[in-house]
Amino acid sequence: MAAAVRRVVFTGLGVLTPIGSDPDTYFAALCDRKSGVRRLSFADPLALGCQVGGEIPEFKPNNVITNKEHRKGFKMMARTVQMGLVAATMAFRDARLEVGQTDPERAGVEFGAGMIASELDDLGRASRVSLVGDGPVSLAAWGERGIKDVPPLWMLKYLPNMPSCHVSITLDLRGPSNTITASDAASLLALGEAYRILQRDVADVFVVGGTESKMNPLSQTRHNLFQQLSRRTDDPTKAHRPFDRDRDGSVLGEAAGGFVLEELEHAKKRGARIYAELVGYACGFDRARDGLVMAKVIRTALQRAGVRADEVDHVNAQGLATDRSDPWEAKAIRDVFGPKTPVWAIKGNMGSAGAAAGAVELAGSILALSRGQLPPTLNCDSRDPACPIAVHIDGVRPVTKPYAVKLNFTDKGQVGAVVVRRWEG
Amino acid sequence: MHSRRVVITGMGAITPLGHSVKELYANQLEGRSGAGPIFRFDGRTFPTNFASQVKDFDLARHVRDPGRFKESGLNTKFALAAAKQALADAHLLDNSKVDRTTIGVYLGSGEGSHDFPNLTLSLALSCPADGFKVDPTEFYKHSLRTFGAAHEYEMEMHTTSGHVAAEYDLQGPNYTCQTACAASGQAVGEALELIRRGEAEAVLTGGSHSMIHPFGVTGFNLLTTLSMRNHEPTKASRPFDLNRDGFVLGEGAGMVVLEELEHARKRKAPIYAELVGYGTTADAYRVTDSHPDGRGAIACIKWALKDAGLRPTDIDYVNAHGTSTQVNDRAETIAIKDVFGEYAYQLPVSSSKSMLGHLICAAGVVELITSVETIRNGVMVPTINYETPDPDCDLDYVPNRAREKKVNRALSNSFGFGGQNVSLIVSRFAD
Repeated sequence: MAAAVRRVVFTGLGVLTPIGSDPDTYFAALCDRKSGVRRLSFADPLALGCQVGGEIPEFKPNNVITNKEHRKGFKMMARTVQMGLVAATMAFRDARLEVGQTDPERAGVEFGAGMIASELDDLGRASRVSLVGDGPVSLAAWGERGIKDVPPLWMLKYLPNMPSCHVSITLDLRGPSNTITASDAASLLALGEAYRILQRDVADVFVVGGTESKMNPLSQTRHNLFQQLSRRTDDPTKAHRPFDRDRDGSVLGEAAGGFVLEELEHAKKRGARIYAELVGYACGFDRARDGLVMAKVIRTALQRAGVRADEVDHVNAQGLATDRSDPWEAKAIRDVFGPKTPVWAIKGNMGSAGAAAGAVELAGSILALSRGQLPPTLNCDSRDPACPIAVHIDGVRPVTKPYAVKLNFTDKGQVGAVVVRRWEG
Repeated sequence: MHSRRVVITGMGAITPLGHSVKELYANQLEGRSGAGPIFRFDGRTFPTNFASQVKDFDLARHVRDPGRFKESGLNTKFALAAAKQALADAHLLDNSKVDRTTIGVYLGSGEGSHDFPNLTLSLALSCPADGFKVDPTEFYKHSLRTFGAAHEYEMEMHTTSGHVAAEYDLQGPNYTCQTACAASGQAVGEALELIRRGEAEAVLTGGSHSMIHPFGVTGFNLLTTLSMRNHEPTKASRPFDLNRDGFVLGEGAGMVVLEELEHARKRKAPIYAELVGYGTTADAYRVTDSHPDGRGAIACIKWALKDAGLRPTDIDYVNAHGTSTQVNDRAETIAIKDVFGEYAYQLPVSSSKSMLGHLICAAGVVELITSVETIRNGVMVPTINYETPDPDCDLDYVPNRAREKKVNRALSNSFGFGGQNVSLIVSRFAD
């Protein structure tokens, strides 16, 4: 690998999560062991196998996007898209950037996103008017009449690349623009690609992140069918249990995370506040799903960063809390770090936000490094012997080492790992 | 200029004009159209009732035990077949001499298609005719009972690149991007960068997509981007012609193996061409329209030239995005004229979409493959259905007949909804 002469730093953060929608509230909630998981409120979940989830309690995009021109676009955006735009805008402001202040041609955007489900009402009327008797819906009727009852811009409301596109339009970012759709690994892979692009000197600033909301009925149906989701209904806050012996699946969540990634000299020149440095990244495909390639990916990221495993303060794990995923992940972590390096998983606090998870979870580690405090993992009450790693569960622990590793992967085997360094000037 | 050079060592294609690169190119040289009445579903009453479809596709001809993929979408099935061709072509199939963790996958591929009958029925039964507001509780009841778990899972976008990597043992970086109509062009460009930066020695890259399903046609029809020339489907895609009225929806997959030059040489892999330039930009204008002055497209083409260390006059041929919509073809012409100046009038520009239709996520790579074949064979594919010149589109579009020309370097453009631009430059390989 060619020597990375261009260094890349984080200069802005924006988070929208079930436990806090600004970095301070989010981090305080993590330290205070708060949970954002409760019985689903957007629709009666009684029919669902998993009736709890991590909802963002009051998402009001108008509070952040104040420009009337930009607000007009909201009606063209699914909730996931609005969330991505808001998180990106918050990160941009947090970095004290203003539209037009940097060269737009040298500013890019890259998001992780997944399938964005249609709102039911956008298709309800079209389906109803095309129904013949008790069913099925007639294609002939749909083509003739139904189609006219679907909103004209329906498709554009749900395309996965729309978060990136609306961000590029709103913040006038005309450089590279991409959207990575690698499920739970999406936002880490997006971040890694933005890092690569900044290093190859075709951009100086990148707005990067991830966004995903499963808080709509179509996503709930689909994910309840194919994902292992927790059946716990007694205490929703206890449902998602990373690396715990009694885990029984994930909880669906929603979140958006945005970062401003910036080439170091560019950041210094404008006197930007620096949170952390992105020092290593690697990705791969763990075909056998046995942790070997995952471990290799982590080692490669460390090697590119020039960091030894014992210099790492903590590993920020995926912690999906399914039967299969946690032992798989633990094996890789154990292989690289041994039994002692603290492992932290955030999904216990807010469930799984899919393509957004990597972004908001990494934001947690960046805040932990910069504030010198490592919050605990929620709901890992009795560690699973099949996951022989040091899950950090007891209180807030002082950060003792300069690096954190963030890991995410998909059920198929796509893996991404990044190494970040505490900024010490 | 770049310390690690990247060459194309394998290609594969499943398209409306053939199930191999050879057929794809030969049919384009003949000026054939892939368009016809929709057979994927009964689309007779839809505003647009034709499309450019892959015919007679049988996964069993490409992979062992195809039943394993019976719940997968066409996107995944096309991808598996095209990937196998490209890897076999590059001698990378079942080749344990190459460290499999150094071979990546980077696809620009779309989602699978919704279960139309069960989704719409679930909606209809939970949507009372007075008020038309869907009751989510009723929807859950019907949808949970009727949707198939495996089908729903296989719609997820990471499953395609996951299946391909698992099937052909590719354990390097594994990416899927979705930038609408620019996706597979972008995938190829970023795969190039993965190799240049040393994160992989070879990457299977390209794209796969089918939106020829009721929701796909509904969505594009509502955006008024599809041609409605229902009475003559094969005449419908007419890029740069004055009477163009939209694109023809296509489907398919294209795959290339990109490989670091020395790596390819050492194992004596075939070298078809060198990928020398990649540019990507955002219009940052509107999600509904591309920038009317071609702002993002101009920056994108310039960037690809700069990346390749080439002057505009070094380009011999452009395989255009050329969708056959009013806006795209005008803006793309403006962009080409801006970048190439007077030379634009000597530079042949043709659109494969006139014959193939628009393969959406898969379009960019199939057009790149066409550009590689153009370099190898010295014949440029035509823009068919070009009948009436548009005063705003006054370049040489290689109208209606293939034309011989020695092409050393070709530019291939892809532009996507939301203002996503990608340009790739491919060159005849020379030491």
